[in-house]
Amino acid sequence: MELDAGVATERAVVPQQEMSQDRSSVPGMKLAVEAQGLVKQYRGRSGTVDAVRGVGLAVAAGEVFGFLGPNGAGKSTTVRMLTTLMSITSGTARVAGVDVMAEPDAVRRRIGVALQEAGLDPRQTGRELLVLQARLFGSSSGQASAKAQELLELVDLVDAADRRIKGYSGGMKRRLDLASALVHEPEVLFLDEPTTGLDPASRLTVWDEVRRINARGTTVFLTTQYLEEADQLCNRIAIIDGGRIVREGTPGQLKGDLQRRRATAPPPTLEEVFLDATGRTRERVAGDVKGVSE
Amino acid sequence: MQQAGVLGGRALREGLRTPESAVPTLFIPLFFLVVNVGQAGKIFPSSSTSFLEGQSYAAFTLPSSLLLAASFGTAALYLVEDIEGGYFDKLRAAPISRSALVIGRLLAEAAKSVVITAILVVLSLPFGISIASGPVGFLLLLVLTALWAVVFAGFMQLIALKTRSAAATNSGGLVFFPLLFLTPNFVPRELLTRPMEIAATFNPVTYVMEGLRSLILQDLAWAPIARGFAVVAVLGVVMVALNVRLIRHYD
Repeated sequence: MELDAGVATERAVVPQQEMSQDRSSVPGMKLAVEAQGLVKQYRGRSGTVDAVRGVGLAVAAGEVFGFLGPNGAGKSTTVRMLTTLMSITSGTARVAGVDVMAEPDAVRRRIGVALQEAGLDPRQTGRELLVLQARLFGSSSGQASAKAQELLELVDLVDAADRRIKGYSGGMKRRLDLASALVHEPEVLFLDEPTTGLDPASRLTVWDEVRRINARGTTVFLTTQYLEEADQLCNRIAIIDGGRIVREGTPGQLKGDLQRRRATAPPPTLEEVFLDATGRTRERVAGDVKGVSE
Repeated sequence: MQQAGVLGGRALREGLRTPESAVPTLFIPLFFLVVNVGQAGKIFPSSSTSFLEGQSYAAFTLPSSLLLAASFGTAALYLVEDIEGGYFDKLRAAPISRSALVIGRLLAEAAKSVVITAILVVLSLPFGISIASGPVGFLLLLVLTALWAVVFAGFMQLIALKTRSAAATNSGGLVFFPLLFLTPNFVPRELLTRPMEIAATFNPVTYVMEGLRSLILQDLAWAPIARGFAVVAVLGVVMVALNVRLIRHYD
């Protein structure tokens, strides 16, 4: 699948525009995701576990927002709270302008979700899965069939549409999962590590899909462990570590900030920003990592 | 209800695409029927055993096999697969009523039970069994067995939702065996020893079994039929309510 040149150009320009402004502080800006003091505690056998410790987020409508962090940092837990799949211990969250705790069903009508493991029923065909998903969102049988066909074309799965999903490759499953999250044209699409485990070619295909979806006006909230992915796709990113957000900004802002602090000539990569933020460098930059959400 | 119907249709398709899962559901209950008749058929000849109402011992013991077939709870095992594969989260993230998530699968379980029960009754005919209560009774027998299948699948779904483990759910299904043997499955309740009679009286399966048995052996005898339906109605409501509650609090 070829990359949409128009979308790619738009993507390259948007971060530059946003570097000069703090989205969360612009009055009147429509926020697609808004969280304040989000906390998740589990009761484990060894006591209470703090998975997320007061996360604050402001994601503008229409952007691709990257949520990065090492394993166990709290990325998936945060996504599960924002998508109504997990209860919130304390704090508030609004998605597409709707309170997640007060009106979970209204949130579900406005979001699409593709979680870490492609949540698909292997015994159904790709077409059946999409038709079922559309019907669950209230489409009639005819509307659901038409929508399924449209989405199969979007993710280039028409040829495999009537085969059972258990025979699909990892990349095909991911694309179908993406399509199933789009049956109701959601305002916000949550993608939890959408390319984990995929080969490089499949990863590029998923990136193209994400760009296309965003170009249609859908806000994308993306978690990933791949820094190149965040650099390529995201307008802004936040890095979470130990349940707290430790960096937030455009990739350019974060790199510039680290370059200033290090006072070195070559601009740092996003990987260096990530390692610095999460304390995983050998030569850690002097100074404490600040929790920007606190 | 529309959402429950859509999900039920999907669950039925799931069953149709794994026909091998129906083999033990048919084979094991038939095996029990053959073994029970082989072991006790001569002890209770129809000519001199009043509780057989003129039929063979196979007719008396058929309800045990029907209830066993309805207690495999495959719906719960498919649910664990959905949980482990992430599809359950996909459904939870959709604006589907939580009760539709539960009822969809249970509706499919009821439909599957109707088909399996009908097949078992047909396969039992060579044992000299007839449904004394006629076509209406046969229909009631199908519905009562299907409702029991819903109750037991609901119970197993509780284990699935709580443990999210196929092994634990499978083991939980074995609880049916003590329940089955604490019933008047070999002889009527009044012929049981006193401790067994007390245990059987407190066992809800007893009333479903007696309801089914009356439909096979007698013309429409409403008292045992009503007790059977009352038991499955109460347990069914309890199971659905507990399932919905568990899904609402599922993290």
